[in-house]
Amino acid sequence: MNDDIKDTETFREKLKNIIVCIKSFCIFNSGEPTAFNKYRYRQLQVKLFLFIAVLSLIPLILVSTSSYFWLQNTLSEDFNNQLRSQLEGVKNSLEFFLDVKLSALRFIASSYNQDELLNHEKMKDIYTNLKKEFEDIIDFGVINSNGIMESYVGPYNLAGTDFSKQFWFNNVIVNGFYVSSIYSGYRNVPHFIIVVRKDLPEKGTFLIIRAAVNVKTLNSILSPITLKQEDDAFLIDYNGIIQTPSRFHGKLLDEYKMQPPPRQNLVTLESRKEDGERYIHGYVYIKNAPWILNAIIKSLEKRSLATISSGEILLIIFGSVFVVFIVSIRMSQILINRIKKSDRLREEALKEIEHTNKLASIGRLAAGVAHEINNPLSIISQKAGLMKDFIDMSSDMETNKELIENLFTKDKFIELTNGITSAVDRCRTITHRLLGFARRMSVSIEELNINELVKEVLIFTEKEISRRNVQIELDFYEKLPKIKSDKGLLQQVILNIITNAADAVDDNGLIMIKTYKEEAGSIWIAIKDDGHGIPKSQIKHIFEPFFTTKGKDKGTGLGLSISYGIIKKLGGTLSVQSEVNKGTTFYINLPVEANIEI
Amino acid sequence: MKVLIVDDEKSLAEILCQRLKLRSIDTDVVFDGESALQYVSNIEPDVMVLDLNMPGMNGMEVLRKIKVTNPRIQVIIFTGHGSEHDEHEAKGLGAHSFLMKPANVNVLLSHIMAAYSNR
Repeated sequence: MNDDIKDTETFREKLKNIIVCIKSFCIFNSGEPTAFNKYRYRQLQVKLFLFIAVLSLIPLILVSTSSYFWLQNTLSEDFNNQLRSQLEGVKNSLEFFLDVKLSALRFIASSYNQDELLNHEKMKDIYTNLKKEFEDIIDFGVINSNGIMESYVGPYNLAGTDFSKQFWFNNVIVNGFYVSSIYSGYRNVPHFIIVVRKDLPEKGTFLIIRAAVNVKTLNSILSPITLKQEDDAFLIDYNGIIQTPSRFHGKLLDEYKMQPPPRQNLVTLESRKEDGERYIHGYVYIKNAPWILNAIIKSLEKRSLATISSGEILLIIFGSVFVVFIVSIRMSQILINRIKKSDRLREEALKEIEHTNKLASIGRLAAGVAHEINNPLSIISQKAGLMKDFIDMSSDMETNKELIENLFTKDKFIELTNGITSAVDRCRTITHRLLGFARRMSVSIEELNINELVKEVLIFTEKEISRRNVQIELDFYEKLPKIKSDKGLLQQVILNIITNAADAVDDNGLIMIKTYKEEAGSIWIAIKDDGHGIPKSQIKHIFEPFFTTKGKDKGTGLGLSISYGIIKKLGGTLSVQSEVNKGTTFYINLPVEANIEI
Repeated sequence: MKVLIVDDEKSLAEILCQRLKLRSIDTDVVFDGESALQYVSNIEPDVMVLDLNMPGMNGMEVLRKIKVTNPRIQVIIFTGHGSEHDEHEAKGLGAHSFLMKPANVNVLLSHIMAAYSNR
């Protein structure tokens, strides 16, 4: 009787164990909600789209900006060259204009002798001839070495005037010729003078031929530069006095606000900014005259690329960006669809594997149940058989009369029926447990003493462990706080790890189980074996489903992955440390207060 | 003829012993592998009825040792958890026959008789 009850107890635990295994399977199998996946895919698609779009736009932007700047640079270079040659042309025209006049005066100086030059009639002739060639000559005179105008032809009465104090007088004595700045002089009409020295070597003295020139021609020479309304071109002298009319920079003979630039024989272009307006300042020194040609060109903005074709460029850029966006959206869609498809295939494959494994577990469960039911059935069969034996033999009183009288008592009969009832109870327990398993799948939290729980689990494993003479060493922390958790699930995990440890050690091996506390709010269970250990290449896989080193017959490769899932579900952590040929330690960390994801 | 029943399911083993005794067969019973080996070292039974799943030394181990020390003993494996693989292994080790629980006592008896006559 008592034996029967004890058997029933052990059996109950065994069955519970099997049930826990199946139960954890069900926890594992619950898929993620579809809404979450949809959100995840959308997020992934947005990321992919941004990635593709940015990746394609970067080169587009780089190429378009660099070619834009290159083009603008080329255009402005082109524009500068044009301006340069224009200024060069004007400079040449001015110099030619002066050269011609200088040559004419030099020709006069060398063609006529002193007497002729001082003869008023002759001078009139020369002036008339000169006037025919050069309309802009105002007057014409000859000055002696003392600076006195000895002979004069022109609209003003300058004969006898003393020019020795004039700024140009010493200049012409030294250089042989001189071209003056433009000034108003005695007559109050803007003009400039050209003077040429005629040496008289036989007398050791000289004469100066002087011509005043009207400025109108100068203005017309400058006009090609100033065709554009916002541009300006004018001459200044070395003192910064404006020599020809300027549009924006002061009147004739006003002082120009800018200092004359440093001397340059070639055209110089400088990019400047004034009141936020960009312009080019071009200048060049004129040979043989104290003049600087200035050009202030503001029309460049309108000639640059930005204004000429910004519309087309914007259209092209926006068009490309649009195309890139469309292509990126399409590509990210295609990629996401592929990912979705492969995810689905993977999920299906995984479900199939899980299904197969579920069937295998059910098969194992059935085998276990059959085995456990066979024993009580045998007892029932034998006890009923014994009762039948008594009855059969009592009708045949001849044989074994004495034996039957000894055995076939009322008490014996009742004991046998009780035995049968007890065996039937055992069977009923099995069926009830199976039904209970079908009903109860959720986690149930209760207060647990982990030390007691480990001891209980060890009872299940005793048979196998004692068969192989494996030593179990317990190092329990007696003040370990009670924790709130699910007993069945924890038993399953600890049983799984101890079974693994027992498989890992050789016969006569050692398994150490330690419970301890490191920080408030959680407890630790360490299960250490001195087995063959896990190689580094495998240790990262050991919590993956269907990873096993035990071979097909022994393991499904699910134990540790289910254990991992259970501990995680219970709010704890499961970790492992291992060294080949030295052993493996599993660490379970569990919260004292239940912290269950439901 | 002497029969030894080895089974950790005590009530089953005892009833079987009793029923065989009623059939005039001299039967003894032990409840684990180690006791079985000890028993055999004193008295050699003719036939042994051996369970496979037992705590400590299991049936297969007992069979292997008996066949070394007392090869004349005829062993009948009597188990509730017999797979084809187990049957094959037991026969390979020299077991006379392989019987699944639950079984009628008369079937067991006929196996015992057959084994005895096979000595």
